[in-house]
Amino acid sequence: MKQGAIAILPLAAGAALYGFAFGLLAAQVGFPWWSVGLMSAFVHAGSSQIVAVEQFANAQMVLGAALAGAALNLRYIGIVASLSDVLAGLSLRAKLCAIHITGDENWALTLSERAKSQEVGAPFLIGSGLVMISVWTVSTASGALLGAALPDLERFGLGFAFTAAFIAMACGLWRGRSNALPWAVAFGTAIAMVLLGLPKAYAIVAGALSGLLASYVIRQTARILP
Amino acid sequence: MTSSHWALILVLALAAISIRIAGLLAGDRIRTSSHAWVLDELPGLIVVSLVAASLAGQPWQVWSAAALALVVAITTNHVLVTMCLGIIVFASLNMI
Repeated sequence: MKQGAIAILPLAAGAALYGFAFGLLAAQVGFPWWSVGLMSAFVHAGSSQIVAVEQFANAQMVLGAALAGAALNLRYIGIVASLSDVLAGLSLRAKLCAIHITGDENWALTLSERAKSQEVGAPFLIGSGLVMISVWTVSTASGALLGAALPDLERFGLGFAFTAAFIAMACGLWRGRSNALPWAVAFGTAIAMVLLGLPKAYAIVAGALSGLLASYVIRQTARILP
Repeated sequence: MTSSHWALILVLALAAISIRIAGLLAGDRIRTSSHAWVLDELPGLIVVSLVAASLAGQPWQVWSAAALALVVAITTNHVLVTMCLGIIVFASLNMI
């Protein structure tokens, strides 16, 4: 657990700055600082929270804002499903806790480290997840409380830090040539969807599904033409 | 803090945990089926799609920094090193 908690710290530091920015946004929409922390602790979904609060600010429609936010989180069906092996053997209560504290960063880090060593498992996921949800909760509440103006985070390469980290995690998940075509299809589809104007969260789901389809076709072809 | 603010937090929290539980149920079901390969393929595909979505429509500096980050990742196989060198390359290219 400690190993996961330490390994996730650089990514948690980056997430804290985004959390601070989100807290600022939520405070402007009328959420007191403690309620922003409450939302982060119970929802724990960065992009969902940002979109829901933005929608709420524009239209004050609770259901519409929540649905828009939730739809952006659909990739978590695949993310949590892929943890099936990691979570096997845990009690239902532990599984529910583990999936609640799972985010993009600690999920990808756990699986890329697990690809290197099968000893990495649920404790790593839970340790890194506890750090991420704590940092997210504290940073969003702090952003709402302090409300200070933030510098342009992109200028300092913060957004790219996550891209670089995910590139390294993808390399950790590479299993050989059989991945090449499905990954290329997923990559191309996600790019095309964003360029066509689809929100990034939907493009990620579309990319992953198209990659799965490509993998399925390859498997079927190999079965027919051995 | 109005009742609408409370309702938004509650509905969003319920939606988030429902999606995660759906994933948990789907994962357990798929793992014991003939489609267990899906669980092996999904992580890489989602991460690759995450990277693609963040690169789409970005200027050449971002793509170049990503290409260099890929080289670093392949060479070092280390997340933190790739992240740090990636930021340095990105910041350097942005100064050009």
